[in-house]
Amino acid sequence: MRRPIAIALVLLSAIPLVVAVAGLPAHGDPSAPVHTHVSAHYIERGAEEAGATNLVTGVLLNYRGLDAAGEVTVIFTALIAVLAILLGTGTTPESTASSRGASDRRGADRESTVAPVSPIVSFVVRLLAPFIALYAAYVILHGHVTPGGGFQGGAILAGLFIALAMVLGTRAMQPVARTALAPWLQGAAVLSFVVVGTVGAFLTGFFLGFPAEPPLHLVRELLIIALEVGIAIGGAAVLATIFLHMEAS
Amino acid sequence: MYAWPHWLALVVMTPLAGAALTPIAALLDRRSPPWWALATMTFTSLAATMLVLRVFAEGPFSYLPGGWAAPYGVELRFDEFSAVVGVICLIGWMAILFSSRYTRSLPEFASDRSPYYYALLLLNLGGMIGFAVTGDLFNLFVFLEILSLSGYALVAVGGERIAEMAAFKYLLMGAVSSVLVLFAIGFLYGMTGTLNIADVTARLGALEGPTAPAAVALALLAVGFVTKAAIFPLHVWLPDAHAAAPSPVSAVLSGLVVKLGVIGMIRTYRIYYGAGLFDLTVLNHVLMWLGAISIVMGAFFAIFQEDVKLMLAYSTISNIGYIIMGLGLATTYGVIGASVHIFNHALIKATLFLAVGAIIYRTGYRTLSDLRGVGRAMPLTSVALSIGAISIVGIPPTAGFLCKWYITLGAFEANQPLFGFVLVFGALLIFVYYIRMVNAFYFREPIHAEVTEAREVPVSMLLPTLVLASLCLIMGVLGRIPLTFIEPGVVRLLAPLGG
Repeated sequence: MRRPIAIALVLLSAIPLVVAVAGLPAHGDPSAPVHTHVSAHYIERGAEEAGATNLVTGVLLNYRGLDAAGEVTVIFTALIAVLAILLGTGTTPESTASSRGASDRRGADRESTVAPVSPIVSFVVRLLAPFIALYAAYVILHGHVTPGGGFQGGAILAGLFIALAMVLGTRAMQPVARTALAPWLQGAAVLSFVVVGTVGAFLTGFFLGFPAEPPLHLVRELLIIALEVGIAIGGAAVLATIFLHMEAS
Repeated sequence: MYAWPHWLALVVMTPLAGAALTPIAALLDRRSPPWWALATMTFTSLAATMLVLRVFAEGPFSYLPGGWAAPYGVELRFDEFSAVVGVICLIGWMAILFSSRYTRSLPEFASDRSPYYYALLLLNLGGMIGFAVTGDLFNLFVFLEILSLSGYALVAVGGERIAEMAAFKYLLMGAVSSVLVLFAIGFLYGMTGTLNIADVTARLGALEGPTAPAAVALALLAVGFVTKAAIFPLHVWLPDAHAAAPSPVSAVLSGLVVKLGVIGMIRTYRIYYGAGLFDLTVLNHVLMWLGAISIVMGAFFAIFQEDVKLMLAYSTISNIGYIIMGLGLATTYGVIGASVHIFNHALIKATLFLAVGAIIYRTGYRTLSDLRGVGRAMPLTSVALSIGAISIVGIPPTAGFLCKWYITLGAFEANQPLFGFVLVFGALLIFVYYIRMVNAFYFREPIHAEVTEAREVPVSMLLPTLVLASLCLIMGVLGRIPLTFIEPGVVRLLAPLGG
């Protein structure tokens, strides 16, 4: 009895949403406010003002840089949440390793728990790995010119880590998730916004400001690339670490 | 000194940066996370103090990250309501200090978790601060997600029996309400082409064509934020989540996080009052009634709780009811009372949860019957608890009195005397269940040896409790200061844009 009532309520509450969507300006209407107000300014002046030929990157990292800082913090929060809940419950490699000092034995178990993969798949993954890495680097570093950027490149990089972990065992991901370097990598996105934002504050007088005047506009390019790289490293480390903990539990 | 513009950027970024650095600090020294978090919040508190001083002296002001003018970039805007960052910093600081000892006693709280616990607390506080000071709708949503996500995890982190289930329930309700808010922001963007709150207000006021999306957006924002604020009947996630969380986390969740739903509601009202697009009487009536029902239901459920923390959690629903009712009254007195109750209830509820946390820490019991006679064993903590109890009932001269008095005045000003009576009736119910607690703690014979042998908690736990308790008294005596402080903000909130 509860199920039909719930379905009926959901359908009922969909009606005002549908009506409201119908009341919005037509899709693609050039006179709609979404095309004439703020975005018109971005399209007209963005490439020149924000220093990124890819307007999306210009809006993401420059005009609305604080949003991007918040977004990478959300991703970081997700990782911290996963670690805070899973650690210490005896289901993760970390807790067992540090509480019993048996990381070697655990590591050996790990080798044997790798799912059996066909040698062909294993070979193809290893063969493609450098090319995937190169593609990720291209997407990250070219993000301010062509579609792409730190978020997308970071996801490709994480995909590479995960594919390698499937065929080589999670040992392949040790540096990302288990060493003293790990927390730096995991926090890289947030920290790069803090550092770049502070540098921007010294150069322009505004937090997350990018200098636009001729002598310093090369610095702007570098700062944007630094952000892209930071986002990519942070994003990849977060995804890879979460995967590792899901896999372990 | 307070005129330095960068305090506004620092108050947002410091806790977030501190959180990212907490696991790194833990690598250098395993015991450092609480002290690192404390240092971070100390600096954030300094920035918050400067900001509150500035808004007191100059009125609202903005900061433009990246230097982009308002509708093109993200604007940070600090107004009278943003002054809630002061109380966020204060309670956050106290909760972290309290945690430094408290978390050692938690079941399953292996020391591995410690850096992540403090990182989550900092993220939660930073998310709340960002939410309170942003002047941009999408930025508001981003900070809402930071504070919500970290909130869900903080409930589960203590590893109590029902904590994971409670956190999951909280996650489901919270995620749905976040989606509603995001959907509403999408509607507003589709209609106005901008995300800046002031710009949305102005362009919504000049809107031509169908207004249905704006109306639905208002409904979605109201439902979304009211769920975050835990108003009846959308409160179901709150009692378990707040009772199962570690006590310092309960203080933060109950004292602060639910209030951000109210701040979101105030921002929504700012847009719609300012735009003058709709007559908001219906919404106001709905909020008044829901507030009134929450007051009575929250208090009613609280009376029947044996578990002290569950009782406090239900009492939060009741008190949020006061605030939402005050907002719904939409009169100057009512909204001033509601806004100041955001501050005062935060202080009071944090006092109560920390005091109860200290008692649970020492005795290991959490029900009224088990805790009989604890007042004699832990006199200082119990005095703090009693001050909190008296304040929350609203007996003068404590912090709870003036704001409830103002909300009552607001009810009569709005010609709704019924709601004034509901408020007084609610206060009586609250009085009943807190008198039960005080009675059990002071006047009943203890039944457990642990309770009679309990000693006072260490200074790092006692100090935050006592400081917050004395603030409950001080804010009662100096109660006029926040009332006059918030008044220009309230007058601006209720006025349509441009006269």
